[in-house]
Amino acid sequence: MQQFTTHTFGQPVAAAARVLSWCLVLLVTTAIFSFAFSQLQYGWNWGAIWQYRQKFLQGWLMTVIISAASLAVSLVIGLVTALARRSAFLPLRYTAVLYVEAIRGTPLLVQILILFYVVANAFGVENRYVVGIITLSLFAGAYLAEMIRSGIESIHDSQLESARAIGLTKVQTYRYVIFPQVLRQLIPPLTGQFASIIKDSSLLSIIAVSEFTLNAQEVNAFTYSTLESYLPLAVGYLLLTLPVSLISRALERKFHYAT
Amino acid sequence: MKVRAAFFLLTVAALLMLSTSAPAAEPVKPLIVGMELAYPPFEMTDTAGKPSGVSVDIATELAKSLGRPVVIQNTAFDGLIPALKTGKVDVVISSMTATAERATSIDFSDPYLTTGLCLLLRKDSAAQTIADLDKAGVKVAVKKGTTGHIYATTRLKKAQILVLDKESAAVLEVSQGKADAFIYDQMSTYQNWQRNKATTRAILEPFQKESWAVGIRKGNDALKNKVNTFIKEYRGKGGFEQLGDRYLKEMKDEFKRLGYSFFL
Amino acid sequence: MRLEFCGVGKQFGEHQALLDITLAVPEFQSLAIIGPSGGGKTTLLRIIAGLEIPEKGHLSINGQRLEVHEEALLAHRRTIGTVFQAYNLFPHLTALENVVLPLVKVHGLPEREARDTAGALFERFQLAGHAQRRPAELSGGQQQRVAIVRAIAIKPRFLLFDEPTSALDPEMTAEVLDFIAELRGEGRDLIIVTHNMGFAREVSDQCLFIASGEVQEAGDSGDLFRNPRSPLLVNFLAKVLRY
Repeated sequence: MQQFTTHTFGQPVAAAARVLSWCLVLLVTTAIFSFAFSQLQYGWNWGAIWQYRQKFLQGWLMTVIISAASLAVSLVIGLVTALARRSAFLPLRYTAVLYVEAIRGTPLLVQILILFYVVANAFGVENRYVVGIITLSLFAGAYLAEMIRSGIESIHDSQLESARAIGLTKVQTYRYVIFPQVLRQLIPPLTGQFASIIKDSSLLSIIAVSEFTLNAQEVNAFTYSTLESYLPLAVGYLLLTLPVSLISRALERKFHYAT
Repeated sequence: MKVRAAFFLLTVAALLMLSTSAPAAEPVKPLIVGMELAYPPFEMTDTAGKPSGVSVDIATELAKSLGRPVVIQNTAFDGLIPALKTGKVDVVISSMTATAERATSIDFSDPYLTTGLCLLLRKDSAAQTIADLDKAGVKVAVKKGTTGHIYATTRLKKAQILVLDKESAAVLEVSQGKADAFIYDQMSTYQNWQRNKATTRAILEPFQKESWAVGIRKGNDALKNKVNTFIKEYRGKGGFEQLGDRYLKEMKDEFKRLGYSFFL
Repeated sequence: MRLEFCGVGKQFGEHQALLDITLAVPEFQSLAIIGPSGGGKTTLLRIIAGLEIPEKGHLSINGQRLEVHEEALLAHRRTIGTVFQAYNLFPHLTALENVVLPLVKVHGLPEREARDTAGALFERFQLAGHAQRRPAELSGGQQQRVAIVRAIAIKPRFLLFDEPTSALDPEMTAEVLDFIAELRGEGRDLIIVTHNMGFAREVSDQCLFIASGEVQEAGDSGDLFRNPRSPLLVNFLAKVLRY
């Protein structure tokens, strides 16, 4: 699979060269950060953080749960919206357009505040975790809807013709021709969206959802050890987003085919 | 010949004047004061967006007494101590309570105001004391990084603690019934209750007394001493009294009526 | 098979693709439809394939009228095999899976049986080595041959080809035309729209020449090619057969 190994000037690069280059880059980056930190005159206090490790872990787990739930729900919302967007029934189509434009045109922070303090309040939905997940799902769902829709539309008409000619019904065409291809196409942007959800979930701290970022901020509030609180925070998120991106590349490789 | 001589003399005179004027004054370092401008009437912004309030006036007077220009640095409350530690601000005057825990990270001046923690309650909450709130199923809102936050986390073991970024969010939670109580300082609790009379009630007798002080970087004793001197002198001049009258008149009168001691 | 057109007309917006086609084609095994681009031959084929609905008129296949509502057309499409100029196959499935899909999902064959049927056909037509490849890994000629296998696997009543070799280079063209000739040799009924006059002449019994939306000339292929009567056909053949 030529296009997945590093190439320079069209020649595949030896493994040794790749490893060496990575080492060099990481070394230089570490050096820069070490220098920056050393200039701080900062009194490091890691003991305080270790005391609160339980809080970090609980927050991290909550972020995992919220992100996973939001991804699942947002996929459903995205799919339904993409189909609604193509519906012949105009009110349905326009609802979908309105939803997508409104969500994509406003900041997530604003959506969280409005959905929790105004909408959920009006409907008597109390649980902030549920509202948080719904908000994140609606947010990601709008972006997914557009990705799915353009994926569907990118399937050449000739394939739909072919499907018709061999006697597949519309539903069968979606199921066996359109969706398998759209799904494969979707893998890179989908995993990007998942990584976004993981990071965006930190905004739910605004409505006192006890996720990773809020917990780290609380520890900071108690111990005044800002860097010692926030560095593990960054690492914790990387622990979630890096595997997502690695899995994405693996899946891309598996489903790769020319069209 | 006369013109030339005159011109020459003038130039020499000018040069002499320049050279004998005060040695090029070193630019005076401004006093950078950290505070969160979200706490009327102590730290707030006026309609033009400029910092104003009791603490801003105190900061201006302090800087004057030190012979330095003042710069107000608007910083989130839970970022004030880190800012002080890393030298981003010189002092913190932000209605900050001096606690033993905080004193391990920074130094405090002598206190300039006494107040205490009070409760803003949901209108139909039956709680009468802070102990009534330490029950399972009770939700207590706090603002991140405040002494209310610390009190709730260390002393209320059974209640659920909702940690919010902003005072306004915490008040909203109580008035919408999402939280049973909001632990905050006496003055703000009073004001928030006034603004939300239909949905909240308040217990204005503090259950924990606190005093506010100016925060100074650890080890900066020179500055600390100057600040303490300033506080003593300013109080002697009646400066704090004037601030109370200017910004807190209604509250002063109301508290007198209700029988609470006023604190500035 | 027999084919009869009664006043068939088809319009696309402003453009009249077919104007009142009325014709009874004598019994044939293979029919070639030739003519200039945009003349209406593809439209006619698509109507026979059940992919377009004529505005007026109707057609009968083997004496049975083709109903023009979607249900009937769907049933009709399931009994015939259509091969287009290109992009017949689904890119995300292997060649074998492409053939198995309609057998299983449309004709309800059990998966195992479908695979065996498809496998046997692949063997028979020298495509076994390509069964596990995706269309992108096959040459144009191989793709078309797989598309044809897919069409015949369902045991169609007859086959339709819409310019099956127009997108191929001469070598692959021969490959595919040989295949079609072989199918004809097996006795299958087929209708083919083609630019390849040599093939049309060799392989078809009857021939239709369509230009400007009308059947300009029709009849026995041998005759038609040897003695074209209408000036349009004479012109057309002169141009097409020049090189």
